Amino acid sequence: MPVHETDICVIGGGITSAMLAQKLAELRPGVHITVVEAGRSIFDAQNRGRYRERALAYNEHPWPDDYIEDQQGSGTISMTMAVGGLALHWGGACNRFSEEDLRLKSMFGLAMDWPIAWAELERYYGEAERRLNVSGEPSPHPEDRRSTPYPQPPIPLSYNLQTLKAWAERSGLKFSPLPMARNLSPFDGRGSCCVYDTCGEVCPSGARYSPDYTFRQLAEPKKILLHDRTLVRRLVLDEKRSTIAAAQAWHQDRPGERIDYRAKVFVVASGYCWSSHLLLLSASDRAPNGVANRSGLVGRYMNGHSFIQAIANIDDQTFPGQNMTHSLISREYFRCRADRPFVRHDTRVWESSAGRDARLRNADGRLLLGDELMEDWRSRTKGSSVRLRAYVDVHPSADSRLTLDPSKKNRYGDPMPKIEHRFDEATQAREAANKEHVLGVFQAMAKASNGRIVSTSEGDYLDHPGGGCRMGTDPATSVVDSFGRTHDHENLFVVGAPTTPTGGCTNGTLTFVALTLRSAEAIARGI
Amino acid sequence: MQRRTLLQWLPGASAAVPFNRVRLWAQPRELTPESMAVLRDVASTVLPASIGAERANATVERFIAWTRGYREGVPTAHGYGHPRLQKTGPSPVPLYVAQLTGLDAAARALGAAKFSALDLEARRTILDTSIAATAVRTLPPRPAGQHVAVDLMAFYFRSSEANDDCYRALIQREVCRPIEITVRRPAPKA
Repeated sequence: MPVHETDICVIGGGITSAMLAQKLAELRPGVHITVVEAGRSIFDAQNRGRYRERALAYNEHPWPDDYIEDQQGSGTISMTMAVGGLALHWGGACNRFSEEDLRLKSMFGLAMDWPIAWAELERYYGEAERRLNVSGEPSPHPEDRRSTPYPQPPIPLSYNLQTLKAWAERSGLKFSPLPMARNLSPFDGRGSCCVYDTCGEVCPSGARYSPDYTFRQLAEPKKILLHDRTLVRRLVLDEKRSTIAAAQAWHQDRPGERIDYRAKVFVVASGYCWSSHLLLLSASDRAPNGVANRSGLVGRYMNGHSFIQAIANIDDQTFPGQNMTHSLISREYFRCRADRPFVRHDTRVWESSAGRDARLRNADGRLLLGDELMEDWRSRTKGSSVRLRAYVDVHPSADSRLTLDPSKKNRYGDPMPKIEHRFDEATQAREAANKEHVLGVFQAMAKASNGRIVSTSEGDYLDHPGGGCRMGTDPATSVVDSFGRTHDHENLFVVGAPTTPTGGCTNGTLTFVALTLRSAEAIARGI
Repeated sequence: MQRRTLLQWLPGASAAVPFNRVRLWAQPRELTPESMAVLRDVASTVLPASIGAERANATVERFIAWTRGYREGVPTAHGYGHPRLQKTGPSPVPLYVAQLTGLDAAARALGAAKFSALDLEARRTILDTSIAATAVRTLPPRPAGQHVAVDLMAFYFRSSEANDDCYRALIQREVCRPIEITVRRPAPKA
């Protein structure tokens, strides 16, 4: 049985792992860091232009073999399991949460407070933005003050977004360009934005931050060891102490041979799903409920945010296709007065061609051919469609869970995870009022500038999920402390999305990274 | 041809050319020369004449190249939110060949030397009947391997180029370009 000795063993190879490994390598050069990732490395940036072309032409997935067919959970939002994780094909949105997210209990009597002061987290937001090279514009709201400037100016607003900003701001809301981890000029071995406009699928120039670049930069000069295609299935407790002695793993090509990773510190950086899954899967006689789970809270309080969308028709003319992956954001409703019913959400605006695309048949069902089709299409392009969306702050109950599903197993016979989100009572009680508020905001935006809401819809899953190993100061009500160190095992950390007690009301990745960078300092200090 | 005559013919023709149960005898891997000739002929009906013969021909040639580049059994985008693994289906070429053969036969059964020799309503009716025999109800976001005429239409009308034609502007949705260009109103397209 191979035994791999290292100082720090990081389990998982997504964006938080990349940022953690990068910072640890800087803080403690010479310390041996090994990253173990179940999926494969896809270090072929030179092929991404071709992958994009085939994705557009044939709908082929632009990340070949970025999944493991029998290692899939129910209720997950992406199948991707590879070096880089879900951030191989994220959009690059880098919004900050706000102080309210960290003070829900003390400000509103809801959910729980995070065990971190806002001013402290804010510093790590700045560091995360620097490392991801975020392009952004300071928020117009004084509560969103920053201690450091964005490393890049905002992404230039397209003509379309300039038009939509003028339209949207007639409602009185203030909108800003969405902060994004997208290079405006070459940075850190990655190219600049060429508006391929497929950020969420694949970015041929590398302008949109992607963790595979970081891993390659760390692994090639051997600042870290990267073991891909290796699935960690168990964390094993030390026989005498309450520490983790080993991570047991199996390489895809050698399913009959166990590899033991022995380290001073283990860091689970496997995202919102696979982190809790590994801890639960590591149950033993000494830890019958799973590792780090004396509280019984591993896999509970799974969070995320719900979302409500609308399409508005407006008179102003836009030209769909200029930069469809960029958007506007208003942080107006990040705040909520304590004497008003609680509702928090971001407000987003995109260019859209909804309802205005070429169609095969006209309203009477007549088949359209050639120039008829073109004329029908052209006749429906006067004015514009606008896509509106709000991510709504909702709070999980303890029954919002990740559990092991005995009916679905991988090749090793391990039960796969099953995520079922549940809201706490207060969230359930305000659901209707929240929806009414958000739709009212959309209506007000439309009404202020001669627009019409033509359709609305609600998401049927929670986006940007987190939770399962929530942080806190009390070991009875949380799994990890504010640095991600598990209450039960001093040499075991969980970082990023799983540690969040609540999911906020805007994209979570920057927050996951900021928390991880803070964890990195604690881990480095302890080695 | 009179529409009435065509409608009288169609029930019999649909038995002779069963669009919904086309038998794929030879299972060609590439469009045959005969089917490509019919495709070029049909293209003059389904693509806008306003783009001109040269661009229409180029579109057809690119569509033929698309059929050659098709790969079976390749994973498609997993999706987000409710991901699931799907793979590209069998090559659409055999179906395309059969459908083109059917369209040509339908035109000849009406006494025309070729599809484009029929009047527009006759061509529309033949295409409508052929399309109705498939599951196609809307214009797909890209060729979907269900119907050759619809796929040729999707190939053009869903393109960045067609978007520019529609808006008569150089938006260049899928073209790599400096981001600074996007801040200006798109230049008119001649």
